[in-house]
Amino acid sequence: MTEEIKNSNWKLRKGQIIAAKQMTASEKWFDIKLEDGDLDHEPGQFVQVELYGIGEAPISVCSSPTKRGSFELTVRAAGRLTKYMHGLGKGDWVGIRGPFGKPFPVKLMTGNDLLFVAGGLGIAPLRSLINYVMYNRREFGKTDILLGCKTPADMLFGDEIAGWQKRLDVNFSCTIDRSAPDWKGNVGLITSLIPGVSIIPEKTFAVVVGPPIMYKFVIAELLKKGLPERQIILSLERHMKCGMGKCGHCQIDHPKNYYCCKDGPTFTYEEVKEAKKL
Amino acid sequence: MNYHILKKDELDGFIKKLAGKMKVCAPVAKGHNNFAFEEVTSAGGIALSYIPTILPPKKYFMPPREKLLDFDISEGKPKDTASLEAGETAIFGVHTCDLAGIQCLNMVFSERPRDYNYLLRKEKVFIIGLECGGYCDEHASCALVGNHYPNGGYDLFFTDLGDRFIIHVNTQKGEELVESFCLAKAASADMIALDKVREGKKAVFKNEIGVEPGKLPEIFAKGMEKKVWHDIGERCVSCGNCTNVCPTCYCFDMADTINLDMKTGFRTRTWDSCQFETFAAVAGGENFREERAHRQRHRLYRKFKYPLDKFYRAFCTGCGRCTRACMAKINLKDTLKALAAESK
Amino acid sequence: MKTENDPVTIAAKPKVAFFDFACCEGCQLQVANIGETLLDVLGAIDVVEFREVMSEKYDKDYDVVIIEGSITDHHAEERIKKIRARAKVLIAYGACAATGGVNGMKNSFDLDEIRKSVYGDDYKLFDSTPTRPLHQVVKVDYTINGCPIYPPELIEVLKCALRGLPYTVPDNPVCAECKLNENVCMYERGVACLGPWTKAGCNSWCVNNGNICYGCRGEVKNPAKNANDVIGKYNLKPELIKNKFDMYNKCKEADTNGNRK
Repeated sequence: MTEEIKNSNWKLRKGQIIAAKQMTASEKWFDIKLEDGDLDHEPGQFVQVELYGIGEAPISVCSSPTKRGSFELTVRAAGRLTKYMHGLGKGDWVGIRGPFGKPFPVKLMTGNDLLFVAGGLGIAPLRSLINYVMYNRREFGKTDILLGCKTPADMLFGDEIAGWQKRLDVNFSCTIDRSAPDWKGNVGLITSLIPGVSIIPEKTFAVVVGPPIMYKFVIAELLKKGLPERQIILSLERHMKCGMGKCGHCQIDHPKNYYCCKDGPTFTYEEVKEAKKL
Repeated sequence: MNYHILKKDELDGFIKKLAGKMKVCAPVAKGHNNFAFEEVTSAGGIALSYIPTILPPKKYFMPPREKLLDFDISEGKPKDTASLEAGETAIFGVHTCDLAGIQCLNMVFSERPRDYNYLLRKEKVFIIGLECGGYCDEHASCALVGNHYPNGGYDLFFTDLGDRFIIHVNTQKGEELVESFCLAKAASADMIALDKVREGKKAVFKNEIGVEPGKLPEIFAKGMEKKVWHDIGERCVSCGNCTNVCPTCYCFDMADTINLDMKTGFRTRTWDSCQFETFAAVAGGENFREERAHRQRHRLYRKFKYPLDKFYRAFCTGCGRCTRACMAKINLKDTLKALAAESK
Repeated sequence: MKTENDPVTIAAKPKVAFFDFACCEGCQLQVANIGETLLDVLGAIDVVEFREVMSEKYDKDYDVVIIEGSITDHHAEERIKKIRARAKVLIAYGACAATGGVNGMKNSFDLDEIRKSVYGDDYKLFDSTPTRPLHQVVKVDYTINGCPIYPPELIEVLKCALRGLPYTVPDNPVCAECKLNENVCMYERGVACLGPWTKAGCNSWCVNNGNICYGCRGEVKNPAKNANDVIGKYNLKPELIKNKFDMYNKCKEADTNGNRK
């Protein structure tokens, strides 16, 4: 007794890869066009990418919604599915569910100064917001971008970053963890860049995205600067399997019972400071 | 109030007639005081007196392995169809704890975004409850969570009155069934007998852990760092028995299967367990709940803390299955008592 | 779905060969038990060597080799290395190949003593080494555990191998599957069962058929620290569990000495 479920939330939108590029040894960039129109996401949201016959993986959208016609993903080859996805290229089809998750609180941030702190692959979800801010630049105050990478070879969106560096309406600083022969910039952890940024705590929002280990130290630095807890925005990493707050995998050990896929992945520090792990 | 009567010697006829209309499932004995809901065609195989089955009736609402999508990638652009595999089913003899379990799942899956696989399948299940006169065994804690009396969640509800069952008809679907089966209306003597059964239960069912249920949210709110979690974490074998047998555990995993033609396949959802090692791990290698103690703690917070905030009810039904099924003798009542004692 | 950068280098109809070392060949026999799907399997692959059913020899490279049995002497070691050199993908097939299986019991004894008891006074004429599963000798790409293997798992692994995808052996205890099959727990029947420590993936095949779990798929990666609570609950002795595990898992010690892969 099998019947079709027409309105199933498990149904997939069909997306075709219209461009792809290997960015670093472990990260590949994809530009995907949905056959049924725009993704209609907001900065900070993610999608479930289905590779038919292999499975689904949650991936942050790294393009701004101001870019129409297609959306972009940066995929690190970390698991079975993402490794396989690295083998895909222009013309290949994938299934898409989403967008899912609570976006960055763009409306609350309007009119305020912004401090972006990205570590490693954290630049991918953050790029959706940075490019949104660039597009609507006059809506926001002073904007600083701090970026940390392991080595210069791990830097993502190098061409675009070069553009940010040239802009007069954005302050950009970058640091690498370990020194490299042809590197003339900062060396050290991303936390070392924070004291050098001058901020007015009451009117600044910091948006921090990076590996779990980074949060503790960056947040401590930001609090030292007097930034209110609810103006520190994070995007947390969990394995979001269903995207609908049901499968249980992404639940955060926190008194408020947060599902990262539905209540997050973006949170204010105030919301999640009681979490057992960030 | 709509009550009907079924004489006990007519039960066999009732089940047979019902089985003529749809698949009927009921508790049957599996030996060694184990029971399971299985398909029956007569009353003969039904265990009317049974302790909670190995798996709760959730298996009929959310099968352990369920197909969500069929897909075909033989042409460039993939095609997929969402499908539901379900038939009309009656479950007979559902205890009040398990009725509560189904109610909990209903709440979860009706939350938006809705899960139509669950919701559409639920519509096909006809539920016949069965009242318990006493505790199933020492592991049950149904009085703690108020599930020793029926609180809805059924189409028909049977209470044993000695030589007959009195049936509470709770839904239109139930009404149509008893009408078509020409069951007699209950007389006032039957109603008095029912009241007596219910009154008698008051003396039998007592709060099993000696802690006021109203105090539990506070105990849990302050309980994250208690020693009891480490004690049970030391013993846990991470087999997932406690969650598989739990009537309100619904965590799941999803996977694709490709057929040997390498062109067609399907996507399934299977029961998963927060007790498994990699349940909260991400592809990069980080595991957000690596310790068994934290996984056990998480399981109980999902019964006694989180759902109280979200759905205003505990997601423990008091059935006692997790205690019975635990390979390491982790006992729910003892755990709650220890937590309460530590919180004093 | 894929059009460029395809990492799968295996031919459309890959050449597959079966080989056996120290084993009972029971796992190869399981191929016959695949049932209806066997025809689909044979449609997807080209079996070029399979001693149990054909006598032809194949002299080119193999896309996939499926190896049953453990390595128990120097001759076997040379032979498996030669096979490995000719194979794109090597599948360790069954407990003997995957974990050493029952052959590992040999390792419980002093090698010369055990040789003497098997071959008598002339034992030195007979080549023999401690038992090793394949991964302690050559690189293994896929592992199919079990004594015998569980046929549906063979099909899943084959599909992964044909697509160049990794296969993850389930790392939950057998109980996880056994409970879903609504078996009466063996411990409730008063019998000690290795399910709580053994890797699942077999759909609790033995228990479904009234037997206990013998631990043939090997221990889970992170077994419970002590078995006392499980055992104590049923008045059994912990040594009983250890002895039962020795039947299939004696080669495990070598893995902890850095011999894996």
